Amino acid sequence: MRYPIAVSQILVIEQAPGWLVAALNHAIIAGILLIAGATTMMLQVWVERRVIARMQDRLGPNRVGPEGILQSIADGIKMFTKEDIVPRAADRWVHLLAPIVALAPIAMMLAVLPWGRGLVAVDLEVGVLYIAAVSSISGVGLMMAGWGSRNTFALLGAMRSIAQLIAYEIPLIIALLGIVLLTGGMSLARMPELQSGIPLFGSSIPGAPDLGLGWFIFTPVGLLGGIIFFICALAEGERTPFDIPEADSEIVAGYMTEYSGMKFAVFYIAQYLLNFALAVLTAVVFLGGWQGPGVAWLADAGLGAAASLLSLLWLLLKAWAIFVLMVIIRAAVPRLRVDQLMAFAWKYLLPLALVNVASAALWVGLTQWSSIEWGNLIPIDALTPWQRIGVAAIVTAVLNISATRWVLRINRAPAAAAVATIAPA
Amino acid sequence: MVTVIFIAIASLIIASAVLVVVSREIVRAALWLIATFFAVGALYLLLEAEFIGVAQVLIYVGAVSILILFAIMLTRQHEWQEPAWRAGPWWIALAGAIGLAAVLITTLGAFPWQLHANDLPVSRAPQLGTALMREYLLPFQLAAVVLLVALIGAVVIALEERRRRIPTLADDVAAQRATTDRTEDGTS
Repeated sequence: MRYPIAVSQILVIEQAPGWLVAALNHAIIAGILLIAGATTMMLQVWVERRVIARMQDRLGPNRVGPEGILQSIADGIKMFTKEDIVPRAADRWVHLLAPIVALAPIAMMLAVLPWGRGLVAVDLEVGVLYIAAVSSISGVGLMMAGWGSRNTFALLGAMRSIAQLIAYEIPLIIALLGIVLLTGGMSLARMPELQSGIPLFGSSIPGAPDLGLGWFIFTPVGLLGGIIFFICALAEGERTPFDIPEADSEIVAGYMTEYSGMKFAVFYIAQYLLNFALAVLTAVVFLGGWQGPGVAWLADAGLGAAASLLSLLWLLLKAWAIFVLMVIIRAAVPRLRVDQLMAFAWKYLLPLALVNVASAALWVGLTQWSSIEWGNLIPIDALTPWQRIGVAAIVTAVLNISATRWVLRINRAPAAAAVATIAPA
Repeated sequence: MVTVIFIAIASLIIASAVLVVVSREIVRAALWLIATFFAVGALYLLLEAEFIGVAQVLIYVGAVSILILFAIMLTRQHEWQEPAWRAGPWWIALAGAIGLAAVLITTLGAFPWQLHANDLPVSRAPQLGTALMREYLLPFQLAAVVLLVALIGAVVIALEERRRRIPTLADDVAAQRATTDRTEDGTS
C-alpha cells in the first residue's frame, strides 16, 4: 500500500513546487493558445463574411467598429442571451456533452503546431499521428449531437458527416505520409526546420543563401501531396464544396439542427478553429511553416527574439492566405452531391495519394541512399547532393504527372464510352 | 504525483467500464466505452509510450468506436431495444466471470511487477517501425492479408445487402418521427 505515502508527498509544501511549476507552465501556454484561438475565430468569421460579400457584390458587416471588425463580438454577446432549447425527446446528457466533445479535440490540435521558430507548446515525436488521432475524436462529438437530438435531420447530418470524415481522412493521412518519408520523422516541430534554403534544392547547394524558401510545395512530391491535403482539409473542415453534412437547403443544419444559444456557438467555434488549425497544418507541412526570407538572417545576426517574431508573422500570413483561399472557394464553387463526394475521395484522391507515397520513397532513395543500398545498380554516389535532388525531382515529376493523367483518363473512360454510344462521331 | 494521476485515470477507466455494462441504453454504453478507450490512451501516455497512446486513440476512439456507433444505428430496432442483460440464465454469466477472473488473477500474479524504468526496452516510434519491417515482417504482412480479406468480405456483404434491404435505425427514427408528428397534429 503505497497510496498514503504519495498523498502525503503532495501535502508537504516543500516538495510541491516541481510539479506545480510544470502545471502552471502548461496552464499558461494552454491559456494563450485558447485565447488566441478564440480571437482568431472571431476574426475568421468577420473576414469570411466580408470576403464573401465582396465576391457577391455586397458590403457585408461594416457597422460595428471600424469596417465592422467588432461584429463577431456583438454576435457572441447575442448568442449568450439566447434561450437554450433542448428537445423533450432528446438524450439530455448526450445533447449537452456533444459540443464539448466536438470542440475539445480541435483545441488539443493547437498544442503540437509549431507557431514560429522555437515556438511550439509540445514537441511530440509522433506529432502527425497525434493530429490524425485527435481530429478523429471530434467525429464522436458529431455522432453524439446527431444521436442525442432525436431529430431525423440531425441524425442524417451526423451520418453524412462521419462518412465524409472517414473517407477523406485516408487520403489526408497518406498525403502526410509522403512528407513523413521525406523528413524521416513524424514530429511537426521539425518539419519547418527542414524547409530552409532555396526552392526545390533547399540547403543542398553550398554557398547558396538561406532564404527560408525550401518549401515542400516546390518539390513534385510536395506539390501533389499539398493539393491532395488541401482538398481533404476542405472536406475535413466541412467547407463548401464539401459542406454536405450541414447542407442548409437539404437537411436544415445537419447535426446542429437542434442546438441554440451557446451550445450552437461552441459548434461554430469548433468548425472555425478546425479550419484554422488545418490551414496552419497545411502551411507547416507544405508551405515551410514559419520559414521565410529574413528569419535565418535575423537568427544569424543574434536577434533570436526578432527572428521568432518574424517567423510567427510568416506562419500567420500563410495560414490566413490559405483560409482566405478556402473562403474564395466557398463563394465560387457549388456543393457536391454525396456520390460525387465519395467517388472523388476513393477514385481520384486515394490512388493519387498512394502514387505520391511511391514518389516520396523514390525521392528518398535517390537523394539519401548510397550506391551500395541501390545494389550498385545506379552509380548515384558520383553526383553531388543538388544534382541528386535534380534527378529525383525529374523522376518524381514524371511519375506524378503521368499518374495524374492516368487517374483522370481512367475515371473519364465510362462517361466517354457512354457519350460515344449516344452520339457516334 | 504520478501515483495520483494514475489513480485518477485508473478510477476513470474502471468507472466508465462499469457504466458500459450497466447502461440500459446501448448507445450510452457505446459512449462510455469510448470514454474507457480514451482513458486507457491516457494511461499509455502516463507510461511515456507516446506512440502506443496516440495509436490507441486513433484506432479505438477514432475508428473502432465510430464503427460501433455506426453498427448500432444501422441495425434493426428490436436488436438494440431489448435489454441484453435479460437474455440468458444468470449462472452462466457468473461462471464466465469467475473463470475470466481466475485466468486474469493467475496471469497478473505470475508477472514480475518490480520493474525499473532503466531495465525496460526503449520502444520509440522508429524502433517500432524497424521491428515491424525486420523481425516481425511476416506477421505484419499476414495482418495486411487478413485486412484485405476483411475488405473484400465487406464489399461482398454490402452487395448482398443492397438486394434485400432491411429497415435501419435511421429509417425507424424517420418513421417514428412521422407518426408522432401525426398524433401531435391530431390532438392539438
